[in-house]
Amino acid sequence: MEDISRRQFIIKSAVAGAALASFSAFPDITSAAASDTELAVVKNGTAAAMVRKAVEELGDMARFVKKGQKVLLKPNIGWDRLPEQAANTNPEAVAEVVKMCLEVGASRVRVLDRTCNQPQRCYTRSGIEKAAKEAGAEVRHIIESRFQTVQIPNGQIVKSWPFYKDVLESDVFINMPIAKDHSISRITLGFKNIMGVLGGDRGDLHNKFMTKIVDVNMAIKPSLTIIDAYRILLKNGPSGGNLADVAETKTIIAGTDRVAADAYAATLFDVDAKDIEYLKIAADRGLGVMDLAKVKMKEISLSA
Amino acid sequence: MRTARRISQIIFLLLFLFLFLYARYPFGGQHPVDLFLQASPLTAIATMIASRAFISEMVLALVILALTIPLGRFFCGWICPLGTVIDGSDRLIRRKKRKPKTRESLRFRSWKFAILAAVLVAAIFSLQLVWFFDPIALLTRTMTTVLYPAFVYLANGLFAAALSIGLIEDQAYAAFDFAQRTFLPIAQPKFFEGVIIFTIFAGILALGMVGRRFWCRNLCPLGALLGIFSKFRLTKRYVSEACTDCSLCQSGCRMNAIEDDYTVNNTVECIECGECLSVCKPHTVSYKFGKNEGKNEIDLSRRRLIQASLAGLAGLAVVKTAAVSRNKTGLAIRPPGSIPESEFLDRCIRCQECVRICASTGACLQPSLLESGLEGVWTPIAVPRIGYCEYNCNLCGKVCPTNAIQDLPLERKQKLRMGMAYFDKSRCIPWYRQEDCLVCEEHCPLPDKAIKFDVREARGPDGTIRVVKFPYVVESLCTGCGICETKCPVVGPAGIFVTAAKEERVEAAS
Repeated sequence: MEDISRRQFIIKSAVAGAALASFSAFPDITSAAASDTELAVVKNGTAAAMVRKAVEELGDMARFVKKGQKVLLKPNIGWDRLPEQAANTNPEAVAEVVKMCLEVGASRVRVLDRTCNQPQRCYTRSGIEKAAKEAGAEVRHIIESRFQTVQIPNGQIVKSWPFYKDVLESDVFINMPIAKDHSISRITLGFKNIMGVLGGDRGDLHNKFMTKIVDVNMAIKPSLTIIDAYRILLKNGPSGGNLADVAETKTIIAGTDRVAADAYAATLFDVDAKDIEYLKIAADRGLGVMDLAKVKMKEISLSA
Repeated sequence: MRTARRISQIIFLLLFLFLFLYARYPFGGQHPVDLFLQASPLTAIATMIASRAFISEMVLALVILALTIPLGRFFCGWICPLGTVIDGSDRLIRRKKRKPKTRESLRFRSWKFAILAAVLVAAIFSLQLVWFFDPIALLTRTMTTVLYPAFVYLANGLFAAALSIGLIEDQAYAAFDFAQRTFLPIAQPKFFEGVIIFTIFAGILALGMVGRRFWCRNLCPLGALLGIFSKFRLTKRYVSEACTDCSLCQSGCRMNAIEDDYTVNNTVECIECGECLSVCKPHTVSYKFGKNEGKNEIDLSRRRLIQASLAGLAGLAVVKTAAVSRNKTGLAIRPPGSIPESEFLDRCIRCQECVRICASTGACLQPSLLESGLEGVWTPIAVPRIGYCEYNCNLCGKVCPTNAIQDLPLERKQKLRMGMAYFDKSRCIPWYRQEDCLVCEEHCPLPDKAIKFDVREARGPDGTIRVVKFPYVVESLCTGCGICETKCPVVGPAGIFVTAAKEERVEAAS
């Protein structure tokens, strides 16, 4: 609990600082860092170029990562699948985020996920371990003894859950899911990706899922959510395996509002955010804005 | 000679350990991890007899057997890793400087021949028993199910302690990461049969208190087999006239192979260790090539041979007729690529190599107890509540020394059915509580998932009508990998379970 408060304090201070800066009270802040864009959607580029552009549109990585800060980047590495099978986050996109964090002076970028298949298999076949390491990240496997129970006083059903210590101790938490079909949440995006830093028996969260997934998300706020929709998995998710179920949508969504980011990604599946129950619950609890019309959004296509 | 022997023993023990540790994910196949298992002449002969097949991978064992004729039991003295372990353990548990006044008892020496006879007779009638006694299989099995898991437990504990110290956390993680890539598994292996297997192993070491190399002298049927072949060896222990009759060579002989006339040694029992050369103070003992005129009787009377053969037959009949059903329980889910059951039981030497490599990835395999009948004790079975067969893995077939599990291409293995999943509707959350769950479906690795949903309205326990996704198994798609059962969040028996029903076996490639 103590850790969470401190983390949130730091995040809130950073956000407040950024907000203050946007009033241009501090002329020495670069103009990019003063952006108040909440959601940036970039299409039709390479995964790396789109990620870079999207974060730049939000006001560059410097808006989120200050010099010397510890970054925890959480992609989806859950499955023993190849990048083209679209079950894990795109490795090039992950590597680009690592680079951007290091460019603005992050003291370290740690990349991890609690996988569903054997961890070494997932880290290897996803291509993420290699790509992220080459970009300068610390790629780590989950150690079961490093989960700490976090109280969730406002949780409706889930009142406490073990979270991974590295996440709780990070200064900046970046959530980086891939957009996939999922039979219970309908689509698995940022909210569901948080499962990868949870300990305990995560299977328990799968009934009354819509409420429980919002509950656990109340304990942790990503500074930045980047949704990889370079390839999306339309069927047989979240593990996939059939290339016929993969669509190359060439889109990257980056946002400070995690509800809005998930809501936008849903449109790629021709699903209205209002039909995704957990987003409604999350919006009702004030975790973000579901109505994209009310979000400061930029949409950019790289191939002009 | 003693130093050379010790170096050889240590090198082969280290090679054994290296190959053991190498049998893990990601298995590149650069090193033959089943080398020692395939080098055991006893395993080779008994398995080939029992399965009525020539197993070309085991030809090395025949070479060793052939070399035994001129060279004697060099395998026992210089190579056998269990022998080395027993030598080490004997040093630890036996009091030093104890000078036996009289020669140790020869009473149990014939047992190993009796065991060999019983094992071979059983093999002729297609009952594989060699797995219990073969020293290589025995040591590999003990390593897999007991020693290695215990080592991992302690090593992980040390790393956990180091990782909890903030200051050295990064260095500790780097070391831990290296360990996990080389010799530590990603998850603690645990086995049902560990305690039984450990008790047997501990018993073998403890027999060292009765006599040195008690196992090798009196019980090991591989030693017996090599002893028979070394009867005519061409190495000669020569004792010169200067012998002072001090008896040091006799009391120093770990195999008790030197007769009361110290110039005579029993070539069937001698393991060429060279200890007698080293203990002889006046250096009267030497080693030469030449026809050995030593005592070379096989300590097995015709009566004993008949008794042992009958015991083998009786054991065979008892095991084959034990009223433990092989198939009806459906619990004997075999590794993918297993050959048909009766051949499988003939070939499998229970070395647990497959179990060992599986523990480094999906961890579904366990040595069975009675799930596949009395004849199938310690054969590998998948226990899906504990682990599952990784969709992208075919390693068990790559390390099986006898090809009881065939080495299948990954694409073929991915489609091969080990068994079939069934829902237990009294335990599955959507079925008994009318609440959505999906964990089984989410994890199903098949490109076209074998678990699908029947979405319809149902009345919940609270009386409300709601839409529920009721899962069901599509039999034509399910391969019985068991990840659904492993990941099922129901506490206790899962809401979905796999049995061996509809399993597909692979014919042995000859």
